Amino acid sequence: MVKSLKGIKGPFLEALSDLDLEVQEGEIFGILGPNGAGKTTLIKILCTLVLHDEGEAYVRGYDVRKEPGKVLTNLQAVLPGSRGFTWRLSGRQNLEFYSLLYGLDDDIAKERIDYLLELTGLLNRADDDYQRYSTGMQRKLLLCRGLLRDTPIILFDEPTTGLDPGSAAEFRSLITDRLVAEEGKTVLMSTHNLSEAQEMCDRIAIMDRGKITACDTPNRIRYEMIDENQFNISLHETAFTSKHEVMLDQIQEIPGINGVTPSIDPTEGLQGLTFRVDKNMDLSNILEVLLRNDLSIKAMNTSEPTLEDAFIAITGNRPAVPRRRFRH
Amino acid sequence: MIPIALKQIIAFTKRDFQSWSSYKTTAITQFINIFIGVFSWGVRASYVQRTVTEMYGSDYISFLIVGVAIGNLILPLVQGVERRLNPWTLETILMTNLNTSVFVIGNVMWNYLFSIITFIPYLVIGILVFGAQLNVNITATVLAFIISAAILMGLAMLSSGLRIVTKSTDPITWAINVLQNLLSGIAFPVVYLDTIFFPGVSMFSWLLPQTWVYHLCRLSMLTNPNLLDPLIAVQYLKGLAFAIILFPVGYKIFQWGVNRAKREGTLGHY
Repeated sequence: MVKSLKGIKGPFLEALSDLDLEVQEGEIFGILGPNGAGKTTLIKILCTLVLHDEGEAYVRGYDVRKEPGKVLTNLQAVLPGSRGFTWRLSGRQNLEFYSLLYGLDDDIAKERIDYLLELTGLLNRADDDYQRYSTGMQRKLLLCRGLLRDTPIILFDEPTTGLDPGSAAEFRSLITDRLVAEEGKTVLMSTHNLSEAQEMCDRIAIMDRGKITACDTPNRIRYEMIDENQFNISLHETAFTSKHEVMLDQIQEIPGINGVTPSIDPTEGLQGLTFRVDKNMDLSNILEVLLRNDLSIKAMNTSEPTLEDAFIAITGNRPAVPRRRFRH
Repeated sequence: MIPIALKQIIAFTKRDFQSWSSYKTTAITQFINIFIGVFSWGVRASYVQRTVTEMYGSDYISFLIVGVAIGNLILPLVQGVERRLNPWTLETILMTNLNTSVFVIGNVMWNYLFSIITFIPYLVIGILVFGAQLNVNITATVLAFIISAAILMGLAMLSSGLRIVTKSTDPITWAINVLQNLLSGIAFPVVYLDTIFFPGVSMFSWLLPQTWVYHLCRLSMLTNPNLLDPLIAVQYLKGLAFAIILFPVGYKIFQWGVNRAKREGTLGHY
């Protein structure tokens, strides 16, 4: 739990500002935000690598500033930038080294290492030098190290950045299917990958300039932040004439339509229309106008707002569409 | 039952040994360097052979061989942690909640052991080839090594703590290392500074921790000192005083450096 967290005040800006957040046990919680939003700072505060200026942060009731030792027995982080592995030692030797630093008994460590190597699919490469590992394998070894202590909470900072799509999917599945579904761990992860957040996270928080601007389930965020749907119509080709220009003007005036974009090919003419429409609009009004103008419809569909649309609307990285007030 | 702290120090040492031994060319060249080094110092010492009447009453070659061997022990210890400090390693290690002393001792232990191993060829070649004559008191030597290790680890922690904040060479360690060459008496007895410059200059030498490392080691290996002799005991007590001050000060500064970097959010910065 994080209450009114501020910090750290660097030489140029404040990384976090009055941040409130509570993560429930057993959930996958995603932190999204543009570069510099403060995601990594938040994660590092929680794993005691950064001291915050004001406010309180607790991990299972332990104050991260006052009781770092107890915090670290409840939480470990998988930070891709923090390798700390010896290149010329094998994956297993590296894990054995860290198991001693974590203070694990030899027998428990051996059993745990074997289990984790099996869990991550590294068992048959466990005795290869770390330097021979692919990026995906290195990331898996990081995960093994993060899990050595078997803490109930795991933090991930950009868990799949730099992985190929196959490895990324495998890594996501490890987190959701094994760590959370089977072992009941709580996961807090930062990510830039919005589809990953939508697929994996029970709840997400969108951070911008050190503040949380939205916090809810991915579905609620995308539906509540965006008031529009997109309505797409494909047409049987027809020449684009002045009659169609008038039609577009008429369509713009239909209540509930916020914009229309024709798709016109210079040689093949009018091919389709894309409408930004209010969510509850009666779409038959549009169809009536099209039929009145002798347009022949080939296909049509509505696309709902994506998390990316919501993210862009919240962080203002592109022209924002109208949005509602949002509750934290 | 081995205490966990000792197991952790052994784990660091084992890791560093395994890594070192995997770089076979480096290992071979390091051993060649030892032999070339000892011969080059030996030849120089033979050329200027004289008796070091000022302090230890030994011949110059014995004085120099011990000094150079000790010098090889000092640098890896002081720089051992500092060189291993990089952002990703430090963050990872801190997340294990490892005790600071174990972290520091663990990181320098292999270097220390390796330096002790290299100590042997220095002495053997010095004695057999260049006729160095040691007059060793084993108890005093062990004591000198323990006091030296505490002094040097204190310096190592101090240096590392400052390095975490400055992200580059820290001014204090830099000054100590630079002054060591002039004032610690690696190649000459420090009292000779009074003759070369002006009386009283050598007083500054005794403010440098390294001077005490060289002095106690030479005392124990060249003069077969009686530790019960009050004059000798005072020398050891002075060295011990440096260790007692430097070790906790180094520890505090290391902790201060880590906490300051955590507050500024620069732990992971270069």
